[in-house]
Amino acid sequence: MSNASLAPRTGVDTPALKLTNVSKSFGSTHAVKNVSLEVPRHEVVGLIGENGAGKSTLLKILTGLYQPDSGIIETDGRPVKFRKPQDAVAAGIGVVHQEQSLLSNLSVAENIAMNALSSKDAATRYGFYRWKQLNQEAAAILARVGSTIDPRTKVSDLSFVDRQMVEIARALRVDEAIHAAPLVILDEPTSVLERNEAAILEREIRALRDIGSVLFVSHRLDEVLRICDRVVVMRHGEVVADVRRGEVTEEELFRLMIGQESRARVRKGGSATGAVAAVEAKGLGRKGHFQDVSFAVSPGRSLAIVGAMGSGRESVCRALFGTEPFDSGTLEVAGSTVQGWSMRRAVRQGLAYIPSERKVEGMVGGLSAAENLTLVHPREAARGPILRRKARLKAAEEWFERLDVRPRDPKLPLGRFSGGNQQKVVMAKWLRAEELSVLILDHPLRGLDPGASQTVNDQIRAAQEDGAAVILLPDTLEEALEMADEILVMRDGEITARFDLAVESPTSLDLLEKMV
Amino acid sequence: MTDKDTGTGLLEQAPAPSQPPLRAGRRFEFKNLGEVLALVGLIAVFTALNPATFLTPENLRTILDHASLPLIIGVGATLVILTGSIDLSVEGVMGAAGMTFVLMTANSRGSADLGPWAIVAALAVGVGLGMLSGLVHTRLKVPSFIVTLGVWFVGLGIATVLFGDQSIPFLPDGGIKAWPSTLTFGVPNAFLLAAAFVLAGMFVARFTRLGRFAYAIGDSEEISKGNGIPVLRYKLYVFVVAGFCSAAAGVLAALELGAGSATVGVGTLFLTIAAVVIGGTSLGGGKGGILRTAVGVLMLTALNNGLILSGVSPNIQSAVSGTVLIAAVLVATWPHRSRLRIVK
Repeated sequence: MSNASLAPRTGVDTPALKLTNVSKSFGSTHAVKNVSLEVPRHEVVGLIGENGAGKSTLLKILTGLYQPDSGIIETDGRPVKFRKPQDAVAAGIGVVHQEQSLLSNLSVAENIAMNALSSKDAATRYGFYRWKQLNQEAAAILARVGSTIDPRTKVSDLSFVDRQMVEIARALRVDEAIHAAPLVILDEPTSVLERNEAAILEREIRALRDIGSVLFVSHRLDEVLRICDRVVVMRHGEVVADVRRGEVTEEELFRLMIGQESRARVRKGGSATGAVAAVEAKGLGRKGHFQDVSFAVSPGRSLAIVGAMGSGRESVCRALFGTEPFDSGTLEVAGSTVQGWSMRRAVRQGLAYIPSERKVEGMVGGLSAAENLTLVHPREAARGPILRRKARLKAAEEWFERLDVRPRDPKLPLGRFSGGNQQKVVMAKWLRAEELSVLILDHPLRGLDPGASQTVNDQIRAAQEDGAAVILLPDTLEEALEMADEILVMRDGEITARFDLAVESPTSLDLLEKMV
Repeated sequence: MTDKDTGTGLLEQAPAPSQPPLRAGRRFEFKNLGEVLALVGLIAVFTALNPATFLTPENLRTILDHASLPLIIGVGATLVILTGSIDLSVEGVMGAAGMTFVLMTANSRGSADLGPWAIVAALAVGVGLGMLSGLVHTRLKVPSFIVTLGVWFVGLGIATVLFGDQSIPFLPDGGIKAWPSTLTFGVPNAFLLAAAFVLAGMFVARFTRLGRFAYAIGDSEEISKGNGIPVLRYKLYVFVVAGFCSAAAGVLAALELGAGSATVGVGTLFLTIAAVVIGGTSLGGGKGGILRTAVGVLMLTALNNGLILSGVSPNIQSAVSGTVLIAAVLVATWPHRSRLRIVK
């Protein structure tokens, strides 16, 4: 930033941050569209929106990771352009990211000063640390946010809420370089915290108002209404509301966030096709993750589990598939209780799991698409221990045709396909199994374009018609209402509601109320 | 975190502590003492087995003498391992640097006599090879394991070429050749040099950007990058330091041997890496320290020495050392084994 050295204008009316018509699109999708918003000094502004509403893209623009296609960003009344994260830091914007960004084996003081340590700064001289000064500076900054953590503590010894305080302290450290009131962006800072910890953090955030301004991103509406002076609601990349606290209720915020309500249509047919459930959980629990989870899914039926972050629904699905343990309750597959459940046994029993972290857990990017496709059930394309290339390619070509995978070359490494086509191959890998009995899908549509989403959903329905039981963790509530026969709502590891869509037709609002 | 809620539902402004809450002294943690206790136990066992020979001044001098080379190399090796990389080139660098030193100082071949500059030249060879490892690893993105394996043999090759097909270059008796084993304050000079390296290394690890960033990089390269640490540059520095240490060890080894030899470093790599790991520095990076390595070196040297004194056949000594290494890693990682889902 060329103008960082200029004295900041400190007029009372000048907002700390002002966006005017900022847009950013990727291909044909408008991730952020004509967004204008202001964060005045000494105010806490909340930013809410569903997944995919454009919050993360907007944050990435504000922190210099993305450059907007058009629009103006002003800090302290001066237009700025962030080409890299350091530019945002220089402009006095500090971010507390959703994921932890502290170095856990270093001390609190080092982490707070890290940005300065890695550049030329008073805290180091010719590459030598001055621990005393470092610790004193850190203690002073921590005191500003009302924390009494010993700056010499190793971060790995801190509780999560203390780590968040260190992150906030570090975000404030940023500003001292230019002596302006800092803007701290908090990206869902409470999602990793326990309830009482979140309460502590809430108080600290409100206190930040005295020294700067805060942009608070969250999906917990009650929290936003408690902490923020003003709430900005985003939907489909646009700002749809900008309201003061006290002018809205939680329900109104819901409605603004979701747009028009979508309602489930009542399903035709009976509630169950088979007498024996393909998979049944009875009081399933794992300490610290989920408890007393019971449900049954019959062949040919589908169950969607919805819940906010930290609801524990991902853990439940992983426990079903044997990748995470459970320590109470029983799990029945095809009518018999399982013992010593593992992923290997799950696969043998015809369970399939499509993970949300496709690139990490779902595929081997360096292997060809055809090889990926035959990873789970290699026997059909092998003679004894020898893999048969031709049989594999033939199987792959068949599935490429059926799922319309492009480019239609199964010999290419899977890592070179686009996300949607990768997901199709990952699906096909499991759908090939003749004995597929339970299909577990963890956010199957994440990051897919509408076309690929359609194909994936069609395949889920086809598998269901072939008699597979489907357990779905959807990205959006609409997805759940569209795909599922039954919906479970989870919050903090427990089931808070269940809806049988054969007899009732809940709205997305009904679901949300049980989620938060 | 102290609770400042006064019950009014309002946030009370926390009184800023005028003095940061500094605790007196360094934190003392019992769990950090395991390695030291093991060393003490080892000494106790061997003293009981060999009451007349183990705990004598002469034998202790022998142990310290043997510990010198791995201590010096251990300083560089620990820094590299802290960043999560590994340096296998130790023996090659020692060979090349040792040979450079012998050929450039007064020797029986009479190739050259640069006096003290011979040491500088040898160290420069080590720095150069370390830089080569670091550059190939960071810029061409080749795993450090492979790069340094290659540089090991490049170093051996350089040493072999320098050796040529002439007679063995011997150092003249007396003078510098006697320096490592000369006693100062009752301790061999070689060990004093090693102790100086260890102290310097501890200072670097605790008080310099280089050392602290090595820890940071070992914890997470991604987060380090996000925090503005020039990760690649510091990884390069660390390899250069390691090359420097290996070269210093090569010079010392050549002095002790009294002649130029390409294979002057044989056996030191295993001993050093084993000492680093036994001392408690994690091969995954980010955890450990140079003092720990020093304790590990003393443990292994005392173990080898004690086994000899106890009459254990030299044939099974290496098997014992290997077993100790695996056992140490097992003990060190046992509490974290649930997190080590995939071990490469």
